[in-house]
Amino acid sequence: MKIMIRYPLAIAILAAGVSINVLAGPPPGQVDFGKLAPADNGEFVEVQIKSNLLSLAAQLVEKQEPAAAKLLRNVELIRVNVIGLTDANRADMVKRVRQIRHDLESDGWDRNVTVQEKKGGDVGIYTKTRGGEALAGLVITVIDPKDQVVLVNIVGDIQPEQVAILADKLNIEPLKDIGAALKDVAPKDAASKN
Amino acid sequence: MNLPSDIPATRRPARRLWLWGLLAAPLLVLIALAVMVADCFRLAPEARTLRDELMLSSGAEWQRAIVLNANALTVGVIRAGLSCVRLDPEARAAVQSVGNAGVGVYKLASDGPPPDRAVMLAAADSAMAARGWERAVGVIDGHDLVAVYLPEKDISARRLKCCVLVFDRKEMVLVSARGNLEPLLKLALAQPGFSAQLQNLAKR
Repeated sequence: MKIMIRYPLAIAILAAGVSINVLAGPPPGQVDFGKLAPADNGEFVEVQIKSNLLSLAAQLVEKQEPAAAKLLRNVELIRVNVIGLTDANRADMVKRVRQIRHDLESDGWDRNVTVQEKKGGDVGIYTKTRGGEALAGLVITVIDPKDQVVLVNIVGDIQPEQVAILADKLNIEPLKDIGAALKDVAPKDAASKN
Repeated sequence: MNLPSDIPATRRPARRLWLWGLLAAPLLVLIALAVMVADCFRLAPEARTLRDELMLSSGAEWQRAIVLNANALTVGVIRAGLSCVRLDPEARAAVQSVGNAGVGVYKLASDGPPPDRAVMLAAADSAMAARGWERAVGVIDGHDLVAVYLPEKDISARRLKCCVLVFDRKEMVLVSARGNLEPLLKLALAQPGFSAQLQNLAKR
């Protein structure tokens, strides 16, 4: 009789665990950019660093640099996409990035910084807060209509000006360029330069 | 009471066992050596999966140029041998960090049009995902394709596995490695300039 009760109970607990996982879904700061494919002969870079590798990096610095380790532990995911633009994909990619920005704003993301250069370059920085203070995620979109489109999603409590730290620490080249540009940008200065 | 006559009778099978054991031991050693040698020319399972999927998705014919693999036993023997030799701390840490490692180089058999790297990458992603591996880095630039795969779970400094693919239009290089990064990490942390950069980051 005990066995008869125990097995259905175990199955029920397992099923509940699975359904909770399914319901949990991705963290609030995570953005699905969709399937990004390179154009013919176009540049394509995709870096995806998940929490397991980030915690490994945190382990590396924990003893000597607890603050840096804490920053790394605050991050759950880093995704960087660089898609080279050619005549074949330029219009589509630019349209897609604008759609991503629109979707972010619709989903309650705050647009912190928008920079539109005269040459056509277009940078957008979006953050999503969790519980009023901590950040749930950060999205950076860059459209350089001549060369490339860059999409960055960092999930976790990290300020835009700390991107450079992560980029340096994890040696992610495309993120280094963005990080350097963001160093001087205060997160709450919703600047717009036309 | 015929006990004394029974004792030699029970000792005979024991002696035979010893004899068989003595005869079988060299044979077992030979078999183990043969397996070890054969394993030296066989990639790790995850690298084989990656190779097979890339070759299939490329739609091209490939030729094996070289395959070398140092499994845990081989690496253990090398490590034991090197323990008697004076080595730089960096070299010793590197030797201690490697659990096993393998490399395979394959060349396209013909000079036809280059395979579609995006298709190859997508196929490789699917095959590796089915094995519980995910791509951490993917780069397509010019004629080159580079991808780094890591296991989805169980990554730690003590137990790190990775599989790297490099394709440069004509040649495909696959590297797989498993190891313990702790000796290298300890060495890196002991370097005087290592934490200088991190101190600036921590202050921010």
